[in-house]
Amino acid sequence: MLGFLRRTWGAVRRPSVHYSLGFLTMGGFVMGVVFWGGFNTALELTNTETFCTGCHEMRDNVFVELQPTIHYTNRSGVRATCPDCHVPHEWTNKIARKMQASKEVWGKIFGTINTREKFLEKRLELAQHEWARLEANDSLECRNCHSAESMDITRQSTRAAEAHERFLFTGEKTCISCHKGIAHQLPDLGQASLMAAPEAVAELSGYLDQ
Amino acid sequence: MTEVTRRDVIKAQAVAAAAAAAGIPIPAAAQNLITEAELTDLKWSKAPCRFCGTGCSIMVATKAGRVVATHGDAEAEVNRGLNCVKGYFLSKIMYGQDRLTQPLLRKRDGQYYKDGDFEPVSWDEAFDTMAEKWKKALAEKGPGAIGMFGSGQWTVWEGYAAAKLMKAGFRSNNIDPNARHCMASAVGGFMRTFGIDEPMGCYDDFENADAFVLWGSNMAEMHPILWTRLADRRFSHPHVKVAVLSTFIHRSFDLADIPAVFTPHTDLVILNYIANYIIQNGAVNEDFVSKHVNFRRGATDIGYGLRDDHPLQQAAANPNSGASEEMTFEEFAEFVSEYTLEKAAEMSGVPADTLENIAKLYADPDTKVMSLWTMGVNQHTRGVWVNNMIYNVHLLTGKISQPGNSPFSLTGQPSACGTAREVGTFSHRLPADMVVKNPEHRAIAEKIWQLPEGTVPDWNGAHAVVQNRKLKDGEINCYWVQVNNNMQAAPNMMEEGLPGYRNPDNFIVVSDAYPTVTAEAADLILPAAMWVEKEGAYGNAERRTQFWYQLVNAPGESKSDMWQVVEFSKRFTTDEVWPAEILDANPEYKGKTLFEVLFANGKVDQYELTEKAKEYGNHESEDFGFYIQKGLFEEYAEFGRGKAHDLASFDTYHEIRGLRWPVVDGKETQWRFKEGYDPYVTPGSDFEFYGKPDGKAVIFALPFEPAAESPDDEYPFWLTTGRVLEHWHSGSMTQRVPELHKAVPDALVYMHPDDAQAMGVRRGSAVKVESRRGHIVSRVETRGRNKPPKGLIFVPWFDARQLINKVTLDATDPLSKQTDFKKCAVKIVPVGV
Amino acid sequence: MKRQTALIAAILAAAIGGAALAQQSVATLRGGTPLADNADPMVIPKVVNTDLRQVRNYPEQPPLIPHKIDGYQIDLNANKCLTCHSREAIEISQAPMVSITHFMSRDNQFLASVTPRRYFCNQCHVVQTEARPLVENGFVDIDSVLEYVKNQQGGSD
Repeated sequence: MLGFLRRTWGAVRRPSVHYSLGFLTMGGFVMGVVFWGGFNTALELTNTETFCTGCHEMRDNVFVELQPTIHYTNRSGVRATCPDCHVPHEWTNKIARKMQASKEVWGKIFGTINTREKFLEKRLELAQHEWARLEANDSLECRNCHSAESMDITRQSTRAAEAHERFLFTGEKTCISCHKGIAHQLPDLGQASLMAAPEAVAELSGYLDQ
Repeated sequence: MTEVTRRDVIKAQAVAAAAAAAGIPIPAAAQNLITEAELTDLKWSKAPCRFCGTGCSIMVATKAGRVVATHGDAEAEVNRGLNCVKGYFLSKIMYGQDRLTQPLLRKRDGQYYKDGDFEPVSWDEAFDTMAEKWKKALAEKGPGAIGMFGSGQWTVWEGYAAAKLMKAGFRSNNIDPNARHCMASAVGGFMRTFGIDEPMGCYDDFENADAFVLWGSNMAEMHPILWTRLADRRFSHPHVKVAVLSTFIHRSFDLADIPAVFTPHTDLVILNYIANYIIQNGAVNEDFVSKHVNFRRGATDIGYGLRDDHPLQQAAANPNSGASEEMTFEEFAEFVSEYTLEKAAEMSGVPADTLENIAKLYADPDTKVMSLWTMGVNQHTRGVWVNNMIYNVHLLTGKISQPGNSPFSLTGQPSACGTAREVGTFSHRLPADMVVKNPEHRAIAEKIWQLPEGTVPDWNGAHAVVQNRKLKDGEINCYWVQVNNNMQAAPNMMEEGLPGYRNPDNFIVVSDAYPTVTAEAADLILPAAMWVEKEGAYGNAERRTQFWYQLVNAPGESKSDMWQVVEFSKRFTTDEVWPAEILDANPEYKGKTLFEVLFANGKVDQYELTEKAKEYGNHESEDFGFYIQKGLFEEYAEFGRGKAHDLASFDTYHEIRGLRWPVVDGKETQWRFKEGYDPYVTPGSDFEFYGKPDGKAVIFALPFEPAAESPDDEYPFWLTTGRVLEHWHSGSMTQRVPELHKAVPDALVYMHPDDAQAMGVRRGSAVKVESRRGHIVSRVETRGRNKPPKGLIFVPWFDARQLINKVTLDATDPLSKQTDFKKCAVKIVPVGV
Repeated sequence: MKRQTALIAAILAAAIGGAALAQQSVATLRGGTPLADNADPMVIPKVVNTDLRQVRNYPEQPPLIPHKIDGYQIDLNANKCLTCHSREAIEISQAPMVSITHFMSRDNQFLASVTPRRYFCNQCHVVQTEARPLVENGFVDIDSVLEYVKNQQGGSD
């Protein structure tokens, strides 16, 4: 084994006997383009709804929930596919997200959410990941289509216009703060809704402990 | 107390006229608060809701002869202050601007003419024309040529008076209520398993159960107030589980811990699987079963209640047979053993672990289970069987007749129990569960009615679907429809209903408050007083009888259905309608009018007009000169007292929010057949199913048999029909309330988005829904409240503009004669509208 | 001239035919379509989304929803309506708070939070579409009735 490694290392560092430098440089470039292109093409293939819904976990749970929503059909026919919201468009972030996705491949292989029950059990955790990510990146994927600058709030309902003026334009909140559960169903918020704000709880326990 | 006086009526009409003329007036009162007590005091009175079988109590406010507000009655056990959206808008149901106010007769050149135009006529002319037709039919063809179609929306005394006039007066059992479309299979199930009708449990089961299993029911929309009680229990007690089984996803799935969408008709398989699971896992309550249960094997291959010459009917080995033979527990266990988990999962399309979870709810001795069902089970060509089979699993485990352990058959109409079932307005029944075929039962009826022996005919009358067939075939020629919209509601309208009504040999009378689809198909339309325009009584799904007073006057010349029936009876003498042999044997009845024989008989007319409540009107009693509602009720109550159907006294019901029968020694009964709750149970017997001679309930061995019509290449979709929350039944009341109409204006074709895509149609596309019998044109909905699986569509039937019963099949349960409105095969054709 | 006469005759015939039809067809909700026929179905109407509250017919009437609720989830997991209408949420949302009656249990006791019996909002509260009423409703508002009664008292009494 050690001998094999040593021989390979030798072959790599020794200058070429048969091919010109030009050939090797050009060849390397061409091969680089081919591999890189191939890699990116493959990557883009994983960035389609067809790929996402190839797994029944996605098709039978989150995709069917998307179908009746405004992000699937709407008046202008512009629609969001899975990667539009769940994969960053910018390259480095995309690669980072794809590397994270290796965990999802693991989950697929070991069937972490391969039944409806398992999926529902995990749903809160999965949703919280996405909400945290979108909070952290200031709802980047939402804003790829819905830019605050391009919003004409006179074309919105009064209620929406007011909310956007008060919270979105001031930067007080980001899209996902209010628009949870619009493309997929919400997880069980029963427990979450009973929890008061942490400061309030701290104040109460301070008072009671006195 | 201000009396409702004639002046109030004039006032009310003036108010309506003024408001209508001014559009929407903005009176000074809108700006300034009126505080004067004499003005702001409203008169509040109780009344049960006009809509479903839940039987919510409503408080109704009147002022100057108008209903001005309604809200849920906080004192009522049933709803404790809540209403659904329909109930909250009850104030407006009587005020549609197209109320009928005078009789309308089809005429040409001043004469009745079948294809003439509707012209206003007097009540006298209306009744004269009717009586002439009735007498002719009776003389030429006999009692079989006349028929009547009533309703579970009749008040108790309306149904009672109508049944008495038909069965004892005209001596025809051709009277059936629309409860035939609704509860007949439930009745069949009760009579077969327990020998006595109506649920053993009550609504208190909602607060006591640990698990709820919905069999094809969408309570969230159809029984919203019971759904509030179920939701309250589920959310307040986290251990509680809710299983929802249906052929498509609907709003009740929002509360489902265990959701299950099954292939239509395979409820038969799932229930046998659960029975098998209970037996295989040692969960049979052996003590209960050995003491209180018999086992019987039912006849199979019983046909589909179609016309006798239909190929499916001719192919059946035992058409319409409800026969059964004794069997042992071991034989029953053997019978259900073929319904394994694998087979059930494969046939039903429900995942195996889901089925097992449902079975466990029933099998676990520590889980109190309430099963709930309505039309999904009853409107089923094996509806009686499914009812029997739900009782099977409750009886095997002994989970019955105790708080929270309750197989509970929900009811569709406000008085399907009170009027259709208890009064016995079915074509085969008499009051208190008695039947016309039984000579002893007829004798009891004749005795209470003070009529000669042999007055009540011994033949089963034509039921709903057969009535329409006989109209088409010209065998029934005179037909009176009251308080329901059967042209819109009955199946196969184009092949049976419409040709029947428009058959030139027939004379069709429709009594209604509004000009419905059925009214348009009639020859004579009679304007009816509705809801609180008359004194009434309804009986709800938990055996609760509730009364109300007449709170306002009906518009124009409209009169209650009871007034119409009783008034019509004055136009016949016994000599005209009874055979000579009865009259010769009982000469004292000769020459009397049917009114004298049936209503002014010394019994019904024994209560003076002075006994009626002073502060409320009563247009019938004022016309007839005696307190007729009390007379009819007390005579009717005689049938049930001492027979496990005891009702309290008439006056009691006006004071309280209803009582659940049997009411013995002033005490209502919550759980029947259980010692300690039910006074009719023999002490020491623990349970006693006293509807059966040996006190034992019956577990029936019944197999899966396919639906009458299933999808094929030409008609590839299942069609299921039903209701929506915002409209009640055919929408004749709720479509006239603008808020309810605007909430759900049109019927839509609910379908799976993939089916739509495959067909090249989309949400909003116009499509033709077509069966072998007829078609409608509607629009596709792919994202609404109902989410059908691929291969099934749902179309509600409330919409008078889209009559989906042009498409449905008139196949019935062969035992109950109830139509299966949930299953037939259709194709969808895109149309370029 | 002859053509004109024919035209007038045709119009008259249509008018008479129309009048006859009006008497033949009484089912108001069907708008004159014969029972055996099918009218073109109405276009699915839009949901009113103005956020303008409507007058209540009487104080006990549940308010109508003046906005779209497409895809609003109300199930075992979550209640979308309460994200704006709950006691805690209205400061942010400026939406009307759920009525105090909604905190009452079956036994008329006030609970710490909204009672589960009122959990499914759309059993009582519904949106309104732009569909026009099929038939006018003659319900008279209490204020008009009071005004009438008051005038009567001032007049003849």
